[in-house]
Amino acid sequence: MKILVVEDEKGLAESIVDYLSKEGFTCEVANTFWQADEKVSLYQYDCTIVDLTLPDGEGFGIIETLKKIAATTGIIIISARNTLEDKIKGLEIGSDDYMTKPFHLSELNARVKSLIRRRNFGGNNDMIWREIRVQLQGRKVFVNEKETFLSRKEYDLLLYFLSNIDVALTKESIAEHLWGDHMDSADSLDMVYSHIKNLRRKILERGGKDYIQSIYGIGYKFAAS
Amino acid sequence: MKLLEKTSRIYLLASLVIYLAVGVAFYWIIKYMIYDEVETRLKVEMRDFETFIHTHDTWNNNSYFVENKIEVIPVYGEYDPSVIFKDTLIQNRYDEGVGPFRQVTFYTVIGGVPHRVAIRKSMMESYKLIEAISAAMITFLGLLMISMFLFQRRLSGKLWKPFYDTLARIKEFDLTQKEKLQLPQSEVTEFSELDDVLKKMADKMQHDYTSLKEFTENASHEIQTPLALINARVEQFIQSKDLSENHTYWIEEIYHASRRMSRLNQGLLLLAKIENQQFTEAEDMDLTDLLKNKLADFEDIIRHKEIDVEMNLGGSFDVHMSHALADIFLNNILSNAIRHNLPKGKIYLESETNLIRISNTGHDLKADPERLFERFKKESAGSESVGLGLAIVKQICDNYGLAIEYTYNETIHSILIRPEGQEGNG
Repeated sequence: MKILVVEDEKGLAESIVDYLSKEGFTCEVANTFWQADEKVSLYQYDCTIVDLTLPDGEGFGIIETLKKIAATTGIIIISARNTLEDKIKGLEIGSDDYMTKPFHLSELNARVKSLIRRRNFGGNNDMIWREIRVQLQGRKVFVNEKETFLSRKEYDLLLYFLSNIDVALTKESIAEHLWGDHMDSADSLDMVYSHIKNLRRKILERGGKDYIQSIYGIGYKFAAS
Repeated sequence: MKLLEKTSRIYLLASLVIYLAVGVAFYWIIKYMIYDEVETRLKVEMRDFETFIHTHDTWNNNSYFVENKIEVIPVYGEYDPSVIFKDTLIQNRYDEGVGPFRQVTFYTVIGGVPHRVAIRKSMMESYKLIEAISAAMITFLGLLMISMFLFQRRLSGKLWKPFYDTLARIKEFDLTQKEKLQLPQSEVTEFSELDDVLKKMADKMQHDYTSLKEFTENASHEIQTPLALINARVEQFIQSKDLSENHTYWIEEIYHASRRMSRLNQGLLLLAKIENQQFTEAEDMDLTDLLKNKLADFEDIIRHKEIDVEMNLGGSFDVHMSHALADIFLNNILSNAIRHNLPKGKIYLESETNLIRISNTGHDLKADPERLFERFKKESAGSESVGLGLAIVKQICDNYGLAIEYTYNETIHSILIRPEGQEGNG
């Protein structure tokens, strides 16, 4: 899976590449508009992450070029601008997702994966990790092939974990993933805790292992050991 | 009062006074001249009479056939030998009417006996003349006044037209749009100067507005990008396996601080945008409906905090505002009601036509309720909130003509929203 990261802030681009590489993606970086333009014309990518504000142009231009030559590439916009007009424009010209800076790398990762899944399998495949199988289309979860009934948020939480295996996730990023960024309060962190408790219990009930580890002061990690 | 109406009124009043004065003066002048003429003739007759008496030393009324024209009465005793002019009314000989006469009275000695002599002249013709002249004058002055009035109206209407055109253009002018202010060129120096000044001002305002807008956007971008970098680096950092307790504590602090700063930046940017009226798109919507939908977003947290929501919604609250802002508006109010609620507390949502009241149970309020709408005012120091939520709510209210009130009694905090100008009847 090849990903192009178009971002002029070198440190941020590096972080994204670093994070996504660990998840098994092959990443390339373009720091300027022209670099990006050249790369999308020459190579084929599964997903492109585009920053809108570039020193020598608007990210929208790259998206337009991409749509012309490689319509199957998934596009995620990352931008500091969070106006509705930008979001609407981004979606209108064919991007798949819009993330406002600052964002969580884990969230970006989850969205890239979900986008690729949708692009490649039409969301029709199952996500399997050890004894856990998630049937994406029916939003059903099986542990040891026994169905476990999760609430909407618990399902979202599990999917978020499965997209970020063996990665330390902050409580805040989980809360934001589940309720959006407008719900910022100590309460939402409590809610994260209670949802995690329920998810863990439901997996254990079906004979699954406890994969959710809590990391003191930071958050949680979904890992085999 | 409109300018044209005002000048018309002043003009009408002034010309009325002037014409009246002119008319009165004219009347007196004519009258004076006619009297002067009549009196001169009376004096001539008086001299004729005296010459006659001087020659003949006798008078016989019969010798003067016009009746009443000369009256000679002998005087006995003391008399004042002065000449007096006066107006008098005398009966006509043939009909019953009474006619105005001018009469001169003087004394003369006829046949050794002093006589009082009165010579009269009919003023009938003169009065008719005065009447005719006055009538003609009133008519002409009236016509003159009306035509001058109409002329003046047309003239000032024409003269002020560029001004009204300019006014209309300014009214239509929208600072937030990119179109420049276009004003019609006028021949009148003052108006073209006015137009030039206005154009300059509008251009400056537009320029300032755009640069402010760009500045806030750029500033936000410039701040969000390093924050994104901090966040990303922290996320990478926490993946390390060997973090000591101290490290995680520091990292958590850095992470929290950067997130707070990001929120603060977004909040301030939003406030600036609302203040600059950058949310120009607007649609009609019912706030009550929106409130119902919005509540669903908070379902999880309401259940989690075991808050009891009591709804008593009726009537509609129609507003014309940006959908994004309406969403932020209700979001902030509701999340405020939840955040500052007690565990197992209550939220009351009440509405009637053009009135929404959102109340919640909560801790005692230490600050002045109205001051909570100020920026960075928060009840509990160090909480997750940055203290901009209610300031944003207030700003939205100010922009869309809504009045908001925060009241507090016996652990119930209420926020009351209604259209401006309807305070005090709900």
